[in-house]
Amino acid sequence: MKKIATAGAIVGLGLLVACQPAAQKAEAQKPKKKLTAYEKFKIAFYQNRDEWQKYCSNEAQLVPKGISVEEFKKAMLATIKFPPGGKVMGDWKRGEKLFGDPKKGGRSRRGNCYACHCGDPQIIACGNIGPSLRGYGKKGVDPKQTYMRIYNSWAFNPCSAMPRLGYWGVLKPEEIADIVAFLHSPESPINK
Amino acid sequence: MRRKELLILSVIAGGVVIGTFAVAEEKLPEHLRELLELGMHPGHVFVEEGKDYYHNLKGPNGKTCATCHGQDGSRLVGAYAKMPRYYKDIDEVADIDLRIYKCMTNYMGFDPEDKKFKKKYLKTYRVPLATYVASLSNGMKINVKIQHPKEKEMYELGKKVWFTRAGAREFSCAMCHTVLAGKRIRLQGLPNPVKAKSYKHWPAYRFGSDKMWTMEDRVRTCFRAYFLFLNRWDEKKDWVKKPPFFAKEVIAVELYMKHASNGGIIEVPGLLR
Ligand code: HEC
Ligand code: HEC
Ligand code: HEC
Repeated sequence: MKKIATAGAIVGLGLLVACQPAAQKAEAQKPKKKLTAYEKFKIAFYQNRDEWQKYCSNEAQLVPKGISVEEFKKAMLATIKFPPGGKVMGDWKRGEKLFGDPKKGGRSRRGNCYACHCGDPQIIACGNIGPSLRGYGKKGVDPKQTYMRIYNSWAFNPCSAMPRLGYWGVLKPEEIADIVAFLHSPESPINK
Repeated sequence: MRRKELLILSVIAGGVVIGTFAVAEEKLPEHLRELLELGMHPGHVFVEEGKDYYHNLKGPNGKTCATCHGQDGSRLVGAYAKMPRYYKDIDEVADIDLRIYKCMTNYMGFDPEDKKFKKKYLKTYRVPLATYVASLSNGMKINVKIQHPKEKEMYELGKKVWFTRAGAREFSCAMCHTVLAGKRIRLQGLPNPVKAKSYKHWPAYRFGSDKMWTMEDRVRTCFRAYFLFLNRWDEKKDWVKKPPFFAKEVIAVELYMKHASNGGIIEVPGLLR
C-alpha cells in the first residue's frame, strides 16, 4: 500500500486513483484464513499438477493415445531456460555436491541423482532406475544436450521417471550447469 | 520399560549385521531371523502395549475398549481382515487408525476438539492399539469387499491416487511400485505391494528405523518423495511433505491395496528391514 501510494503521489493523482481498485483487491484477498494441512495437501496433490503430469497419470505411466509425443516434447523443449550467457558448464565441484555429496554418502536433498543413477565409483549406494552415468563425459554427448535433459527430461522422454528438476525450479539454471560440468569434466570422478 | 530393554537386546544381537546394512537385501537379515527364533519379535512389545491400553485405558466416561468389544478383543477377532470399510455410525470409510480414534471420541468421552488428546492418540495410543487389534486377525484371510457406495467411491479414488503423478519429482505410487518394482532406489529395493499382497504384514516393525508403523505411516511417508508443494517447491518453506493423518486419499489408497491383497493371510506385526 505504502509503495503504491508513494508512486502514485510522484506520478500524479490520476495514477493513484487508477491503482486503487488493484490495491483494494489485494487487501480483500489478504485476510484469508490459514489453510489446514489437508487443504494444503489437496492443493499440492491436485491443483498444482500440470497438464503433462495429468497425461502421464495412466496405468502405463506413459504418453497416452491421442497425445502426440512430438508435440509433448516440443512443449517441454520450449520451457528450457539457460543460465546467463548461455554457459551450460559451471563448476564441477559444486556440481558434485548437488549430484550427491560424497561427504554425505552421495546424498543430496535436491539433486539426489544417486537415488537413480550410479556415477562416481566411490559411491556404492546408488540406484539402478536410470542408466549408470559412469564415464558419461567420454561418450561425446553435447553438454548442451545434457543440460537440457536435466532441466526438463520430458523434452526427451515424456513421462519418464526422471523428474523435470529445472522446470519445477528444484534446481536453478546455474546449478544445473554445475552438474553438467560434473558429468562432462575430465577431472570429475565420474570420468576418472 | 520393556520395549527399550528388548530393543537394546536386539540391537546388541544385531550389531554386527547392522554394519552391513548397505548391502541391498530383500530377505530378512540373519539377526532378525534369530530374534524371531528366540521368540523376541520387537513388534510384539507393541501388541502387549496395545492390549494393555485396550483393557485399562479409561475414557472420561469410564469406558474402555473392552467394555464394548469384549475381554481380550473377543468381538474384534477378524475385524481387521475386512478393513478399511464403511461404518454406518460414522457414515464414512475408515481404516484402523481412524476407526479407533472415532471410537475414542464418539464412545469413550474424549473430546474431538481437544488437540492435545488428538496428538496423544496419534503419537502414543494409535500404533499399539492398531497393532493389537490387527493381531486379533492373525491367520485369517484378508477379505475386503467393495459394496457400499462410499466404498466404491473410495476404491475408485484409491485407484486414481495410485496412478497420479504429482509434485516436483513427478512420482506416483505406480511409478515406484508398479513400473519400477524390482529396481533399486539408492539401496532400497522397490516392492510391488499390490502384486505381493504386502498388506498381510502391516502394521510392521521396521528394524532400520526402529519404528512400528501402521499402513497410514507407511503411505504418508512415501509421499515425502513426491516433493509436493504449495506455490513452488522449496525445501524449507513450501514443501508439503505428507498428507495429514486420516486424509481421504490415504485411506482410499489403503483400500485399493488391501483389496488387492484379498486372500493373503494376515501375519502381524510384520518385520521389515
Ligand atoms: C527418479 C529417478 C531419477 C532421478 C532422481 C534422476 N534420474 Fe536421470 N534418468 C532416469 C531415467 C529413468 C533415465 C532414462 C530415461 C530418460 O532418458 O528419461 C535417466 C536418464 C538420464 C540421463 C541420460 C543418460 C543417457 O545415457 O542417455 C542423464 C544425463 C541423467 N539422467 C542425469 C541425471 C542427473 C544429473 C540427475 C540428478 C540431478 C538425475 N539424472 C536424476 C532417472 C532418474
Ligand atoms: C461404547 C462402545 C465402544 C467403545 C468403548 C469402543 N468402541 Fe469400537 N466400536 C463401537 C461401535 C458402535 C463400532 C461400529 C461397529 C460397526 O458398525 O460394525 C465400533 C467399531 C470398532 C472397530 C471396527 C470393528 C469392525 O468390525 O470392523 C474397531 C477395530 C474398534 N471399534 C476398536 C475400538 C478400540 C480399540 C476401542 C478402545 C480404544 C474402542 N473400539 C472403543 C463401539 C465402541
Ligand atoms: C520414490 C519411490 C516411491 C514412491 C513414489 C512411493 N513409494 Fe512406497 N515405498 C518406497 C520404498 C523405497 C519403500 C520401502 C521398501 C523397503 O522398506 O525396503 C516403500 C514401501 C511401501 C510399502 C510397503 C511394502 C511392503 O513390502 O511392505 C507400501 C504399501 C507402499 N510403499 C505404498 C506406497 C503408496 C500407496 C504410494 C503412493 C502414495 C507409494 N508407496 C509411493 C518407495 C516409494
